Amino acid sequence: MSEKPTRRDVLGTAARATVLAGLGGAAAFLVKKAQGQVVWQIDASKCVNSRLGEVGVEVCTRCTTDCVVSLSAVRAVNEYSRCGRCAICPAYFNITSAVDERGLPSEKRCPRDAIERKPIGDIDPEDPANNYFEYVIDEEKCDGCGKCVMGCKEPLGLGSIVLRVRYNLCVDCNRCAISTACPKDALFQMPVEEALKAVEIERHA
Amino acid sequence: MREKAQGIPAASFGRGSITLVAVLLLVLAPVSIADGQAIEYERPVETAPQENDIGGGYVTPQVQKPRPRDFWLQVLDVALLAAALALSVWTVVTRRSRKGLVALSIGCLVYFGFYREGCVCPVGSIQNVVVALTDSKYSIPIVVTATFFLPLLVAVFFGRAFCGGVCALGAIQELVVWKPIQVPQRLERTLGLLKYVYLGLAIWFAVQPAISRDFLICRFDPFVGLFRRTGFPHMLMIGGGFLLAGLFIGRPYCRYLCPYGGLLEWCTRLAKRGVTITPAKELECGLCIESCPYAAIEQRRAVRRKCLYCARCYASCPHEGPLARAKAGLVTVSPPG
Amino acid sequence: MIQYRLVRVIGGKGLAPDKFTTALRGVAADRQRQVYAAGDSEIKVYSESGELKRRWGTSKPGLSVAVAGDGSVYVGEPAQIEIFDGAGKLINTWREAGLLGRVTAIDFADACVLAADAADRAIRRFDRGGKFLNNIGKDNRMRGFLIPNGVVDFSVDAGGIIHAANPGRHRVERYAPDGELLGHFGRFDGIDPAGFPGCCNPTNVAVAGRDRIVVTEKAGPRAKLYDSSGTLLAVVGADVFDPNCKNMDAAADSSGRIYVADTVKLVVNVFEAVSDGKGAAEA
Repeated sequence: MSEKPTRRDVLGTAARATVLAGLGGAAAFLVKKAQGQVVWQIDASKCVNSRLGEVGVEVCTRCTTDCVVSLSAVRAVNEYSRCGRCAICPAYFNITSAVDERGLPSEKRCPRDAIERKPIGDIDPEDPANNYFEYVIDEEKCDGCGKCVMGCKEPLGLGSIVLRVRYNLCVDCNRCAISTACPKDALFQMPVEEALKAVEIERHA
Repeated sequence: MREKAQGIPAASFGRGSITLVAVLLLVLAPVSIADGQAIEYERPVETAPQENDIGGGYVTPQVQKPRPRDFWLQVLDVALLAAALALSVWTVVTRRSRKGLVALSIGCLVYFGFYREGCVCPVGSIQNVVVALTDSKYSIPIVVTATFFLPLLVAVFFGRAFCGGVCALGAIQELVVWKPIQVPQRLERTLGLLKYVYLGLAIWFAVQPAISRDFLICRFDPFVGLFRRTGFPHMLMIGGGFLLAGLFIGRPYCRYLCPYGGLLEWCTRLAKRGVTITPAKELECGLCIESCPYAAIEQRRAVRRKCLYCARCYASCPHEGPLARAKAGLVTVSPPG
Repeated sequence: MIQYRLVRVIGGKGLAPDKFTTALRGVAADRQRQVYAAGDSEIKVYSESGELKRRWGTSKPGLSVAVAGDGSVYVGEPAQIEIFDGAGKLINTWREAGLLGRVTAIDFADACVLAADAADRAIRRFDRGGKFLNNIGKDNRMRGFLIPNGVVDFSVDAGGIIHAANPGRHRVERYAPDGELLGHFGRFDGIDPAGFPGCCNPTNVAVAGRDRIVVTEKAGPRAKLYDSSGTLLAVVGADVFDPNCKNMDAAADSSGRIYVADTVKLVVNVFEAVSDGKGAAEA
């Protein structure tokens, strides 16, 4: 026995069709607009630890303390092509500490000892300080505290070390806790492909 | 007058559609313009020593650029979400098995909750979608769009299958229900309106310009701290508080606060299938009503838009539950009573 | 320790003819205590009282400036040296590919012209006609001076000895005009003011009278006065310079006045020893 569709049934089907069309339309619109993932990144020209023009300010450690991940997704990164390779690196050493018998400062800046210092190029066997040195940051030890970044900042250093968000660690929160806490509003989102192509300078479209 | 379990009660359809239209207007009316930010960061490049300065065969090492989570893994998450939704519908509507539902809940809690740490979830994706519709500079990844629409699509046909066993926030609350009280219907209805207030607030803050935008749902998610095993102390305490309350009040966040639950309720009004307490087999014993912790059974009929797909009603029914299966000949038991 | 005081501030930042707009990179003084400043793409000549006497444009931004005995003005620029007469008319341009990359210092010894090439981290010696004679400072393991700060600076004393700053090694080196290293003084020290702090200091050198060497530093910008054995004699202007200064060029005249360029505020600071006002007094 077939029933004549009641008005309720017709309305129901119509409503269902409308809602599905609405959902489908919205979904299609969003899919067409989709450009892929965006990731958080730090603008080095705004970050307190690396922005130019401010000397003698205290290191900002919010990238370490505010990230929701237990070991912050922000790490210090040394852009090697811009590094001075100095024997006495103001980011590696605490250059206001007393000088030891080798003529080098006795203390290091990194509280977690995450920077490795090794001589490169033609190594002078007689005078170890008369060499270029590479400074490699071990990302598993680094927690993004920014002390080395502040030590490398111009004019003290050449500013080759900056804080960067590491995409394999960041969980991509809608509301990045660091971005809310950052005093200079230096965190911003950019498309992931652009972020991976950017060489030294982070640019915001 | 008995409400039909099928079809849409005419009165509630009118109310629902008006609210739907109102919220849509709220969403589309303010068009926000995100601020552009210019960056200039000039550093002298030529003063750093070059490879020929350093000599000795030195080659400048590449700076590590770690990639984010592979795209295929994100697609896998969406596929698993779809599979879990299908499994939820099958377990509850077809198989009517509470045990299956609990197993699914645990599985989804472990994967979407503790492993993926609750991100990206359909509840929070409301904000992403709203921002994508109103901010031309914001681009929403396809996986997030899928995460938002899949449970709604299922809800249009089958009801809140997402709530039953797939949502990690719901699963963690589902598993702590112990001695739930029956909330009076009037109070239930009033408290249930809170979720629309929350939905409206979440949308409002999401459509703000980028500088003042706030993602409320993420910020006030009581359970994400538990999933990540770390978080602000006050949020962790609130999460613990919700779980403690959940011992005695069934799934308070889901019923009174979840903004996505509000959207699911609207979609469920259109569902023709879902959890049904079938008149033909009814005993009028009322055991299902007592077993439902979510006040989703009125006058011995399932209120689909409130039903959180927990399958307790089936488990307690003499016709549907273990007793019925036993009587069907799978196991011999002595008669009750 | 000798005390120095700031007696004059010349130049400044602005659009007026006697001010600079973007950069101030070189400073020199002649016997009449006129101050020559190389900045933007111009040379500005100031009188002793700080009044602008003359100015002329250079074809490229000037990196350094030096005044020869006959009054001609040599300006070091990227890839060239321009030679002007005292009135500012261009007499000659020296371009030597591979020898003049970025000329960050110029000075004179006997009948020769010495020019620093920061691109190659060396000092070149030319005769007055522009013929290349020899390199100075390249004959070491590091194939030149260690200059992460980007400039090679040196000065020639009355005896023809070249005093060159080697910032990466935290010392001032002495060379003979044929390139032989005669000696050096200075060491790294972050605490002792007699040492050179930071990664690359001293950045610039000037010779002030007999046995007096002026150096400038960055990151804690200041100027200091040493004798040739490396004894610290004075700390000059420790709180005068903008803390962001880097590579401040220095000059000194025969009476012991010290001129130091502030590369951020774009002024030339003039210092004099505090004693009876007559030149560099002993402590």
